[in-house]
Amino acid sequence: MALLDEPIKGIPRLKNYINGEWVESKGKIVDVVNPATNEKIAEVPISTTEEINEAVEAAQAAFPEWRAKTPVARARCLFRLKELLEENFEEVSRIQTQEHGKCIDESRGETRRGIENVEVACGIPTLMQGPFSEDIARGIDEWIIRQPLGVFGIIGPFNFPFMIPLWSAPYAVATGNCVIIKPSSEVPLSQSKLAELAEEAGFPPGVWNVVHGGRTVVTGMLEHPDIKGISFVGSTPTAKYIYSKCGETGKRVIAQGGAKNFMLVMPDCDVENTVTAAMTSFFGNSGQRCLAAANLLVVGEDDKFYRNLVDKVVEKVSSIVVGNGLDESVQMGPLRDKEKKQNVLNYIEAGLQEGAKLLLDGRKPKIAGDYSDACFLGPSIFENVKPEMKIAREEIFGPVMSILRAPDLTAAIDICNNCDFANGHSIFTTSGKHARQFQHDIISGNAGINIGVVAPMAFFPFSGMKDSFFGVLHTQGQEAVRFFTESKVVIQRWF
Amino acid sequence: MKLNTTSAVISLGKELENESSKLYTELAKKYTRDEEFFSKAIKENKKFVADVERAYYEVITDAIEGCYAFNMESDTYKVDADSVMQTSDSDKLAVAVEEFENRIIKFYLDAAEHSGSLMADVPRAFTLVAKKREKRLEQMKSLLNSV
Repeated sequence: MALLDEPIKGIPRLKNYINGEWVESKGKIVDVVNPATNEKIAEVPISTTEEINEAVEAAQAAFPEWRAKTPVARARCLFRLKELLEENFEEVSRIQTQEHGKCIDESRGETRRGIENVEVACGIPTLMQGPFSEDIARGIDEWIIRQPLGVFGIIGPFNFPFMIPLWSAPYAVATGNCVIIKPSSEVPLSQSKLAELAEEAGFPPGVWNVVHGGRTVVTGMLEHPDIKGISFVGSTPTAKYIYSKCGETGKRVIAQGGAKNFMLVMPDCDVENTVTAAMTSFFGNSGQRCLAAANLLVVGEDDKFYRNLVDKVVEKVSSIVVGNGLDESVQMGPLRDKEKKQNVLNYIEAGLQEGAKLLLDGRKPKIAGDYSDACFLGPSIFENVKPEMKIAREEIFGPVMSILRAPDLTAAIDICNNCDFANGHSIFTTSGKHARQFQHDIISGNAGINIGVVAPMAFFPFSGMKDSFFGVLHTQGQEAVRFFTESKVVIQRWF
Repeated sequence: MKLNTTSAVISLGKELENESSKLYTELAKKYTRDEEFFSKAIKENKKFVADVERAYYEVITDAIEGCYAFNMESDTYKVDADSVMQTSDSDKLAVAVEEFENRIIKFYLDAAEHSGSLMADVPRAFTLVAKKREKRLEQMKSLLNSV
């Protein structure tokens, strides 16, 4: 199939967006490579400490005026941003495919999810309202005012370059704060586009800033006294580090980490729909998703059911079309880069060494179109996986399914609950009783019942437990509003 | 060619509607008496594309099975306005038009069936277009048979 047009043409050198100006960085320049074509598509700076400090200063200076605007006025900027995002929907989506490699349906899904957060934040005049109690004692009233804190840092991951910063940024600015977004330097283009749209939407200079870079920018954010909080999504070790650093410096923090999600399949499930859901859950975004299922845990001792299910999964997965995500017939794009591919290959090797059986080997994929296999992998499926094996415990972040078995639901839930991560486990069943037991007993921030990718809508918090989340309040919806505001309690009496 | 993704299916739908509009343009020239009917149908074709795209763009999320829901074969639905219009005999033309229309209707019905795992709006959009096209086909048949 013909490729959709690429929106990024030439090789742009990205600039930081600070105080309403597009500023060239003095930092080192690195290449942004499209993992499907292996071609350089842009250059991005690794900004300096001075540059992040400059951005914080600008945001801090913009804060008093921005917080003084009424919530309705701030919401109007977000309404305009929402309109602009709809107008640029396709371009924004294709940029994600170019920079990340995911296929176009997945990019469009990501764009929609991002926009939904802008839509929810448009309701800030009511979302920000605090409760009021008349007569807590005779003639005395008490209420809560939610007030912004100042400047927040938002650090985005590589796997959802457009959407994830939008789990936080719209709520932060809607509540009257200013933000500095640091996109992953591997996928910085969609956040640059978003900043262009924010500028067009009329956010005043200094309210919405983007500083490209790496560790220096993150350290700059963590150490700057004027940054009041950090919202981070990435790997567990970094999430832990950011959480502890924010503790040391007294910053608020949302730190979302990695995952190892189980999909429990009961013998009473709807097999056809379960298999289709498994395809998206395990192999969507090439497995590079913190809500991707990684372990298929088949429950029960019915060998016939097990064989039938596994055969169907293998048959369907074998036909996945791998290629450039701008080809509409492609179902799975490449890994983000060669290093990530190598990491997945290492896990496949580890699985073989631990004695798991490789039912489907994706190491030498057939690629649709004329592309080098530099970053591509096909889907892989391991059988006879035991809970203690490395491939069952550690986050692979690639298109690898590990199949395990458990004698009954209680044993299956125990296996899940012994995992270090607890982000998005799910169950596939037609039994309400099983579903309820799962929902009650599972330790998982997000729990799916016949849903393979347990991604909460924008008006629900994106939860997480154990090593998948560090913090208290979460991104998205009402919890994000709480995160980005102080609750000031007023008690009033008139003599 | 295999159609696996929502994106590919919607692109084919757009292609079919364009080909259909091309056919109606020619039919309007041939049957000037029914020009208004065909002009209206061309406008409606654009609306069909917009309705399906809207359903898709408004409900697509990273959580649904957008890339894995379909297993269709594009050749089953391909239509060619030029070859239909090469039919000179009126009776044969009516048959060719009916076949042309039925292929497109089948496309929408199959797409609705395959997209059952997507959020309800997408299969509903496909079904609605199929129903409207079925109704239109009945009207067309009576127009072409009365020539």
